[in-house]
Order: sequence, then C-alpha cells, then structure tokens
Amino acid sequence: MMVATISTPLESTSDPAEHQRRRSGGRVGAFRASPFTYATLMIVTALLSVPLVFVVSVALASDQTVNTNAFTILPSAFHWENFVRVFSSSLPMQRFLLNSIIISTGAVAGQVLSSGLVGYAFARLRAPGKNVLFMVVIATMMIPTQITMIPQFILFKELGWVNTFLPLIVPNFFSNAFNIFLMRQFVSRLSREMDEAAMVDGLGFFGVYRRIMLPMLTPALIAIGIFTLTATWGDFMGPLIYLNDESKMSLALGVQYIVSTSQAAQSPPWNLVMVGSILLTAPMIAVYYLGQRYLYEMDITGGSAGIK
Amino acid sequence: MSIATPRAAGSVRRPRLSKRRRQEALWFYLFVSPWIIGFLVFLLGPMLSSLYLSMTDWDSFTPAKWVGFDNYKTLLTKDPVFWKALWNTCYYAAISVPLSLLLGLWFANLLNKQIRGRKLFRTLIYLPTLVPLVATAMIFKIVLAPHGPLNQLLGLFGIEGPDWLLEEAWVKPALVVLSVWGAGSATVLFLAAMRGIPRELYEAAEVDGAGPVRQFWSITVPQLTPIIFFNLVMGLIAAFQVFSQVYVITGPNLRGGPNYASTTVVMLLFDQAFSFFHMGYASAISWLLFLVILGFTIAAFQTARRWVFYESEVK
Amino acid sequence: MTSDGARVTRRGFLGMGAAAAGIITLTACGADSGGGSGKSGPLAMTVWGGEPDRVTYQKRLDLLVAKYPELSVKLQIIPSDAYAQKVQTMIAGGSGPDIMEVAENVNSYSSRSQLLPLDDRIKAAGIDMTKSFGSIGSIYSYKNQTYAVPDRSGAEIVYYNKTLFTKAGLTPPTADWTWQDAENALKALTVPGKQWGYGGAAWWPSWWSFAYQNGGKIIDPATGKPTVNSPEVVEALAWVGGLMAKGYIPTKQEYADMGADVGGDQAFASGKVAVNTTGFWAIANLLKTDVEWDIAPMWRGKQQAVSAFGSGLSISRTSKNPDAAFKAIAFLTSAEAQKVIIDTGQDVPASIEVQTSDAFLKPSWVTKTVDMKAFGDSSAFVYRAPFIAEWNEMQKAIDNVTANFWLGKQDAKSTLDALQKQLETIIKPAS
Repeated sequence: MMVATISTPLESTSDPAEHQRRRSGGRVGAFRASPFTYATLMIVTALLSVPLVFVVSVALASDQTVNTNAFTILPSAFHWENFVRVFSSSLPMQRFLLNSIIISTGAVAGQVLSSGLVGYAFARLRAPGKNVLFMVVIATMMIPTQITMIPQFILFKELGWVNTFLPLIVPNFFSNAFNIFLMRQFVSRLSREMDEAAMVDGLGFFGVYRRIMLPMLTPALIAIGIFTLTATWGDFMGPLIYLNDESKMSLALGVQYIVSTSQAAQSPPWNLVMVGSILLTAPMIAVYYLGQRYLYEMDITGGSAGIK
Repeated sequence: MSIATPRAAGSVRRPRLSKRRRQEALWFYLFVSPWIIGFLVFLLGPMLSSLYLSMTDWDSFTPAKWVGFDNYKTLLTKDPVFWKALWNTCYYAAISVPLSLLLGLWFANLLNKQIRGRKLFRTLIYLPTLVPLVATAMIFKIVLAPHGPLNQLLGLFGIEGPDWLLEEAWVKPALVVLSVWGAGSATVLFLAAMRGIPRELYEAAEVDGAGPVRQFWSITVPQLTPIIFFNLVMGLIAAFQVFSQVYVITGPNLRGGPNYASTTVVMLLFDQAFSFFHMGYASAISWLLFLVILGFTIAAFQTARRWVFYESEVK
Repeated sequence: MTSDGARVTRRGFLGMGAAAAGIITLTACGADSGGGSGKSGPLAMTVWGGEPDRVTYQKRLDLLVAKYPELSVKLQIIPSDAYAQKVQTMIAGGSGPDIMEVAENVNSYSSRSQLLPLDDRIKAAGIDMTKSFGSIGSIYSYKNQTYAVPDRSGAEIVYYNKTLFTKAGLTPPTADWTWQDAENALKALTVPGKQWGYGGAAWWPSWWSFAYQNGGKIIDPATGKPTVNSPEVVEALAWVGGLMAKGYIPTKQEYADMGADVGGDQAFASGKVAVNTTGFWAIANLLKTDVEWDIAPMWRGKQQAVSAFGSGLSISRTSKNPDAAFKAIAFLTSAEAQKVIIDTGQDVPASIEVQTSDAFLKPSWVTKTVDMKAFGDSSAFVYRAPFIAEWNEMQKAIDNVTANFWLGKQDAKSTLDALQKQLETIIKPAS
C-alpha cells in the first residue's frame, strides 16, 4: 500500500522503491545524500579497490617483473599477451568453463528450490521439536569440512558417485544450514497478516508459500543464488577430491594448475595467476552487476505498512 | 488458534495438539524434509564417523586403534600448540566479526541513500568478496609487505607501519585487515533487507523532527536486527573456522607463524590430519572446536531475545 | 506488484525445475560406471605440479604407450599444495593411485604400509639402481626395502653472477672451493648497502649441505636418532651465522627494502646478490633476465656433500595392477623416457646416463651458455638425505625453532640444542 503524497516528479523511474523514495523526496533525512556521503563512499571504495587495481597490475606485468618481484600498484606495463598465454595452455580451459557452468547452475537450482521451503517452514510453521531441529541445523555448520572430507568421500564412493558431478550438485537439492538460517531471518521480518488472510480464504500452507511468500522472498532467493554461485564457481577442493578425469574438471581447478609448480621453492608465475583469477572472477562480477536490481530494488514490503 | 482440550486437575500431560496444529506440524516436517533427508544421508554418517574417530588413533590407512579420551586429554593438557591456536582463533573472531558487522551496516546505510552511481558503488564494495582466495591472499602478502602499499599509506599520516606478516605481534591484526576487506558480503544482506523497511516509518520520524542519525539508530537498525543477528552468528561460525586465507598468506615459509602466532585451530587440525597423518587426533580437535563454537552460538541465541526484533516470528 | 512477482516466480520456478532436470540428466551422462580400474582398466598415475609438468609427464606416457601398447595410463595432475590431501583421501577410500609420485615424505606412506616394496620387481627387471641413479639410487627406501624408483633428481647448485665476479677479480666457484675460499669470495663481492655476496641459506637444503660437508648428520642412519646438535652441525650452522653477521647475506630488513616478498632468487635475478644456491628451476627464469650468470657445483667443506631435489615413482598398496604399474615405472625411469624431462626443461632427470649426455649438456631451450655439467658432476656427492617417517613433523619443527636464528636473534648452538630436544620428542628411533 503506497501512501499518497504530493511530489514533484523528476525523471520517471520504473523502480518502485525509488518511486517511494522520491515521493518522500529529500524530505526524509535517512535517504538524503550529502556531499559527506559521496566523499565517504569514494574514499571507502578507493581503499577497497587498491588491491583490485594491484591484481590488474600484476596480471599485466612482464615475466621479468615477476622474477624480481618488482611489482607496482598501478600498472606500469601492459602485457596483454598474458591473457592469451593462459588460454593457450594445453589444458582444456573451454571444457573447464563448461563444467563449471554445469556444476554451478545445478547447485544454484538446488539451493534456491529447497532453501525457500525449509526456511519458510522454520519461520512460520509450528511443530514439536522445531527448535531442537533448528539447533541441529545450525550445529552442522560447526564441524570443519576437512574432518568430514574422508568419511564423505568413502560415502560417495560406496554410492558410485566418484568421478561424476553428482557429489558436487546433488547435496545442494537438500539445502544447507546457511541458506535455511538466512531464509528464516528474512521470512521472520515479514508480517503475518497476508498469510493469515490467505489461509482464511482457503489457501493451504503450500499455496501461501507459493503465492504470498515467494514473491516477497525474491531478494533473499537471489542473494542465495549469488552466494551459491560464487561459492561453487570458486571451489576447487570439491572438484579436486571427487573428479579424476581431466575432462570433468572445473575452471577454478584449472586456475590452480596455473598457480602450481612442482618445486616447493619455485615461485609461481604471478602474472598468469592473476590473469587466471581475473578470468575466474569476471563472470561473477557480471552476474552480480546484472542481478543487483532484483536484490535491492524489489518492493517486498507488499501488504501492510508494518505499523501495528 | 488452538483449542486447548480440558485436562483433569493434577495431570501433567501436554495438551494434545488440535487437528489444525497437527496438520501444521505435518506440513512443517514435509517442508523441512529435503534438509532432513540430506542431513541423514550426507552429513550424519560422516559426523558420527568423525566423532568415533576422535577417540581413536588413526592414520587414515591402517585400522583405527581405540584410545578413548586420550586424544582429548593430550590436547587439553599436553599439546603445546592447541591453546595458542584457540587463543589466536578467538582473538581473530572477537575482532573481525564485530568490525565487519559495523562496517557492513555503515556501508549499507550509505548505499541506501539517494545517490548517483549507486550500482557502481555497490559493485565496488562487494567486488573484493568475489575474488578467489588465492589471488586475495597473494595480493595482500604484497600489500602488507614492510614497504608495501598499506605501510606507504600509513606513512602519509606519519605512522610507521610494522612488518605485518613477519612479526608475531602483528600477524593477527594483518589477518583482521584481510577480513575487513571482505565486509561487502555483510553489506549485501543488510542492503537487501533495508529495502523492506517501510518508508512510512521514516516519514513519520521525519515529521516528528528526527534527524538522519536518529532515524538510522531508531528505525533502520531495529528493523535490521534479524539480519544483524544472522551475520553475527554466521560470522562467528566462519571466523572460528578460518583457514584457507591464513594458509596462503603465511605460506610458504612461515605457515602458521611466526612462532605459531597465526596458527588457527583449523590449520592445526589440517596439519595433524594431512601432514602428520593423525586423523583421530585431528577429529578430536574438530570436536573441541565444535564445542567452543556451540557455546558462543548458544550464548548469541540467548541474548538475541533481548535485542533482536522480529516482525512476526513464530516460536 | 504481487501478481507480477508471482508470475515471474512461477515462470522462474518452472524454469528452475527444467534446468534441474536437465542438469541431473547431463551429470548422469557424464557419470563413470563407478568402481576403480579393473584388471584391464587404465593405470591411474598421480603427480603434482602445474602446466609444464603435465605436458612433460604426458609426453613421457605417450612414449610408454607407443612402446607398450597394452598399457594405458591416465595421468592425474594435482596442484602441489593439495597433493597430500588428495592422495590420502584416495588411499583411505580404497582407490589409491597405481603410480604415485613421492618425494621427501615417501616414508610417511611406506612406514604405514601404503606403498608396495619394489626390490623383487627391480631385481627381476634387471635395474641396477646405483648404476642408473648414482648415490641417490637407494634414497627412497625404508628399513632396507625400496619403495620408489628415482625419477627426477637435481642437485642444489651455485648460481653466480659473472659480471660481479669479474669486477671483484675473482675466478668462478668450483667444487673444490673450501669454506674459506667461499667466504673470501663472498667478502669481496659484498658492497655494503648495494650488493651482497650470498643470497642466504635459510632453506633446509642449503644449510644441510654445509652440515653434511662438515661431517655432521641430521639423523644418524645407524640409530635413527636426530643428531642436529652435534659439534659438526653446530659448526656448519655457525658458519652461516657468521656470514650473516658479517653482512655478506642481506638481512630480512634489507630484503624487505628491495621489494615485497623478495628473497635470494629475486635478488639474484636483479643483480643485487652475487651468489645464490638453489635448484634447477631457477634457470628458466634467469634466461629471461639481463644478468650474466652461470652455474657451478656446490663448494666443499671437509667433505663434498650437497642436497638434491627430486621425486620418485612408487606403487600404492591399493593398486590392482602392480605388475603393469611397475612395467610403466621401469620404462619411465629409463634413459629414453628420462630424456623428455630435460627436453621440455621441466627438471633434471635422475638417470645418470641422461645427465651426462649431450641432450642434457646442451638443451635446446637454454639460450645462453650454461654449464649444465654441474648437475652431472654434483650427482657424485649428493648425500643420502634422511627421509624419515616423521619428515613433515620434522620440517615443521625446524621452521619454527630456527626462525629466530635466521633473524639473527639467536646463536647456532642454542638453536640446535632446542631443535634437538623437539626432534627427540617427535622422532621415534627405528627399532
């Protein structure tokens, strides 16, 4: 429900929350952008970006610079051929890319499908043993993965899933503690009035979930999607342990090979390492940039004004 | 609405659930079943297995030898590094988590305002968390070098920066600096949640004469407490298990050093499990860590009642 | 808004479901029929390293298959940092590799019976370990049983800056230089604040070379007990300490001033350090610099001794095809397959025959004149390194206990006494 106010329309915008904000106009102090705001943001982002600029600088450095560790923060040489070199490695990088896409897409699909359901249940439905179960859910995050690695490997071996993508994708269809907790927190922030009205109208729990909750949870689901995507995209330990065929390996693992040298004392070719990292990160940046709209700019207040 | 069934006086039986409540409970377990199945199949076995192994002496290859609580006893009384590692880890968690939360809140608040170039700023703040760990750690090794960028920056203010990664006293603060660089991940969730705060609240406050700062503390923060709580708990659990970045940034010569100053519990566990082949001992370490994390998490949940404000939580 | 959102979500929902179904089908297609290699399956070979290593090993395997078409080997290259973890998981899960690359920590596996002893097979194949590999022939053995055949083995050598040597009026280092000769040269090569004689010996192969040259031993092979604080070892470490104190080696601060993360290798490449002792791998990088350099065998102390870097090939206990695996190993470690190692510039092959061959002395990728003979010459005096079962624990202890010594804050004797004490708790003497 939008509160009607008189406002001076500026340029039109399709973003409903921005609508809201502009209607409140610069009248609301919390949203007023002062020069101080801009200054702070510029300083903060500048500081955070220095290491990133450095990454680019190293990526474009010459081999000689790598040999003598004479790196500069701002790029001083522009060896674009480093990018070509990474691709001309004998490793099937394109195949790795495809594999990473398959694995990550599967994982994201699984988490998004399952986490909403489970998180909603924990936040809205009552049942005996719920709190204990929730503590168990949280407790599963407290065991370091290094310890469960070998027993899990043996488990997957018994299932015959070693050297397939299955151990990397299937467990995601059963959600995980992080996402459940996240969804629960998001759902708890939403008022119950619409649920209850809908249930009076005859919608079952699943109906309420699908028609009322899901639309409002879209930002949270997008967030889960982005987090899952970045986690699986950059994960090389999982593919390393479970995949034996080179044709099945992931991009993150491929980049690891570029880092790796066979002698412990040998310095890795840092310029190529950074190129690999940039190639690995670029798709994530694109996804995030494009997905931002859904994360931040959907109106999820839908329904009551929140004031009881 | 539940209809309580009348009970005989003096009986201590729990009231039977109404049909509706029973139905609700059934739906609950149905919705939650994916997680339960996943847990039973993929997690429970390995977790129980690791609990069993913690009471054995196992090198991963030859059959495990039962030793009861010996591993735990040795860890708590005789291991020279365990307590140091625990202290290092607690130090890191106690400082990096609140710091990330505060920064995350601050950035999110800034980004929530009507500013031009919002998308760009948001991306730049989140960008650090997208970079693979290997690259991050290597870059920070150089950033934290004695004459690297950080010390150069401090030099502009007349401060002489220490040898961050080479001195015992400064390697943990260095790790905190590294973690702060990733404050963007907390920011994302705060910002997404801020969208759900009804504007009317702010407008009403504005009408009442509250300034932006007051609005932040009285409206924004309370509305965000569920997400703050989430980030706090998640942050603690993750911080206590910190490993990969420390491994890379202190490698290859001073891993966990200097003089064990940057050895975290999981690093200790990793060495014991995969370098020294003491899987049973490492499992014991992981379960002790579990208890520590559990303790802090329960404490967080207990205090949560007082400061976390849910619109509509169902207990 | 709600209905819009719901429509989007419903579509999205169906889309996700379809995607999920598609993914599962795809992965099922990509699935192996599970199970390890049966009698006729390919041999699994695990090695560590990066791209250049992969290329080299694959070339050698291609030679193998060309000669023995009935063999097939699947090469699995694993990033070095994760090798131990991956291999341990494989073996613990019952699917250990058939051919496994091993190095200094070979006996962490053999002492736990995870590698097959190879003596009978070696004898049957007629391989003379000493003839083929020299003094390192028996390096991968435990309790008198051999567990791996040496595959790569390059001695630590001396890199020296020809320009700086000429400027100081010195002749190039040789294997006959004594400690005094070396020290005199390093002194002449040091210009305080600008140039240093020696890159440093903080890494274990470097100072162990000096310890063994002085007649000391890290572990006494007869008793299996550590002997790091014996007078000979203390004297050797003290000698290095002396070089540091006299300023012939850059201090940590001085290194830090040269740039971030700069060590002996980088300082040598930029001409700030005149002598650096390290392994074969530095050659490739140095060929790209402007420095005029060459290599020579390590100088001597009371005896000649030098550390070596390398790896061997072993067979894990869970292998279902040990005979085929050994056939492959025997070929890979023969001169024909070893030649590839130097052709691609990966490393120094362990085969003495190849080390002394023309292919090694003048590899095609070495664009300057480099005295590759230094490697072959050094092979004669590589000392038998103590590959004890507790190798990893020992290394960790050394790193931690000697940290202050390398910062110049502690003397050699007290450092080594402390190290001896720690090692005594870690190392159980071989009974």
